[in-house]
Amino acid sequence: MEQKKILSVKDLEIKFHLRGKTLNAIRGVSLDLYKGEILAIVGESGSGKSVFTKSFMGLLDVNGFISKGDILYSGCDDGKTVNLAQLKKEKQWLKIRGHEIAMIMQDPMTSLNPLKTIGAQIVEAITLHQNLKGNAAREKAIEYLKDVGIPYPEKRFSQYPHEFSGGMRQRVVIAIAVACNPQILICDEPTTALDVTIQAQILSLLKEMREKYKLSIIMITHDLGVVANIADRIAVMYAGDIIEIGTSEDIFYDPRHPYTWALLSSLPQIGVKGEELFSIQGTPPNLFMEIQGDAFAPRNPQALKIDFVKRPPYFEVSPTHRAKTWLLDPRAPKVSPPPVVEKIRNGGIR
Amino acid sequence: MEREVLVKVKDLEVTFGEHRKKYVAVKKANFEIYKGETFGLVGESGSGKTTIGRAIMRIIPTSGGEIYYKGEKINGKISRELDRRVIKEIQMIFQDPQASLNERAKVDYIVSEGLMNIQKGISEKERKAKVEQALLDVGLLPEFMSRFPHEFSGGQRQRIGIARALIMEPDFIIADEPISALDVSIRAQVLNLLSDMQKKRQITYLFIAHDLSVMRYITDRIAVIHKGEIVEMAETEELITHAVHPYTKALLSAIPMPDPQYERQKKLLVYNPAIHCYEIDKPEWREIRPGHFVWANEEETARYQAEMQQA
Repeated sequence: MEQKKILSVKDLEIKFHLRGKTLNAIRGVSLDLYKGEILAIVGESGSGKSVFTKSFMGLLDVNGFISKGDILYSGCDDGKTVNLAQLKKEKQWLKIRGHEIAMIMQDPMTSLNPLKTIGAQIVEAITLHQNLKGNAAREKAIEYLKDVGIPYPEKRFSQYPHEFSGGMRQRVVIAIAVACNPQILICDEPTTALDVTIQAQILSLLKEMREKYKLSIIMITHDLGVVANIADRIAVMYAGDIIEIGTSEDIFYDPRHPYTWALLSSLPQIGVKGEELFSIQGTPPNLFMEIQGDAFAPRNPQALKIDFVKRPPYFEVSPTHRAKTWLLDPRAPKVSPPPVVEKIRNGGIR
Repeated sequence: MEREVLVKVKDLEVTFGEHRKKYVAVKKANFEIYKGETFGLVGESGSGKTTIGRAIMRIIPTSGGEIYYKGEKINGKISRELDRRVIKEIQMIFQDPQASLNERAKVDYIVSEGLMNIQKGISEKERKAKVEQALLDVGLLPEFMSRFPHEFSGGQRQRIGIARALIMEPDFIIADEPISALDVSIRAQVLNLLSDMQKKRQITYLFIAHDLSVMRYITDRIAVIHKGEIVEMAETEELITHAVHPYTKALLSAIPMPDPQYERQKKLLVYNPAIHCYEIDKPEWREIRPGHFVWANEEETARYQAEMQQA
């Protein structure tokens, strides 16, 4: 079945001017988002995953700019394709933000206004994006509260954010985002500040919302463990580049890039008590400099000579699975993945 | 073999506020921590796990029960001499390395502050040597002494926090969510460092976290706490494979596993405290298997035991 692309990023480069130097935050990334899917972007802090998605909403800091590439959005009601990379005016962005693409931040306390009731904050989104007023908007807001699983929505409607627990607050934030009636929902580490039990509940809520409101979701996280539950596809980001992308099954059962191997191996869920947990040596590269070859090579003990010289292109493993590593080149020596990969594939961690 | 008990908590109760505003944060907590082991305390936010840690640290006053350290009572009024000894021997590592280091002090001072308080007459040379050694122990360079905390990454800051605890040569360290604020790849480094230190110096840990997956990797025994009550306690593997209390089961089901097929068919359990009927049949702290304790009443105990037989 041919899926409809809703967002297509082509060869995107984002740079920042910082203290007279230029930082290459995103280095030529291409990515397609299909309608109705949940795509997870996984990477360490500083890998550029937040900057990448912020550029879809025109939320880059003032010293940041898109220096190359396109972001083609084709979810508008009139069916036209908009190149988000070309949008300059705030007025144009206002048509995109919220209405087409909405975002959920990590910390629900800082994304809600502490001086307004949560009802007023949801109504605000509804009046702005759905042309409803007064009682109709209120009814609708209560409906959204019910949808995100908040008990006693009528009563909760007139309460303030401080009267809600962290998990409930995140539910409210989701309600506000959904009330904008967006096509794409970007979730930036939505569960990092929450307890494990609440995290699981929020993840399943997001899945429900996807079904109900036909959303496409981009989920940003640093924790590979979390995304197995929710993601249809996973993109692994390192030093401003997507180095491997595939379906959940591809990434967890058949990862190909050494960095993906390293991320999987360092998960404490997999660790065996008494044995040393695998940890990635070194630090991510300095993005102020031009990176030679594979950005992960200096931290990869099994790096090939060519990894330090030439940047690898995408090699296709299967129609859904691509990775940027020279190991997939037919001429490369055989390097087998770490035992962890075998263990996950055989269900050894269940 | 009888194991040496390092810390013993008996009927511990901690309350905040008085009279009508009284809030019981910890209700009748009972556990023992053996020398050289890593004891885990798991619970959601607001469960009182940090409060227990702080009560042992004597940051928070207790309102009932006793805490024994090496056989001596350390809560309430204690002698000055014991006070100094406890300050030196029990150290704490905090969750957020951004907030727990003094932004205006250099690493040199941060790491040796405790030392200067305890060993008043320490010479400058000796102090410097100790700081250098502590930094080397946690994998940092001695040159870092003259830097400020903001010059370090999150993982390095947490190492400074660990160095600050280690320089006191403690016997017992309370680690309150030491890796929750860190990136996944750095978590592994900090966990390795902690278990390394334990092997080299026989340090006993009380490890407080909300995440059972990390606990499984690092702890020997785990106590699960819910709303100020410890509901289940057992050796780590026993607890994970044979959990009986519904709350523990709910926590276990919430662990995210890096296995998509397993995750998709997994059923999430939600704990509802209303399922217990404790009106007539009062619950107690019962040992349902050697070393496996659960907070349950008579009827539940029978049910849990039957469940275990089947498994």
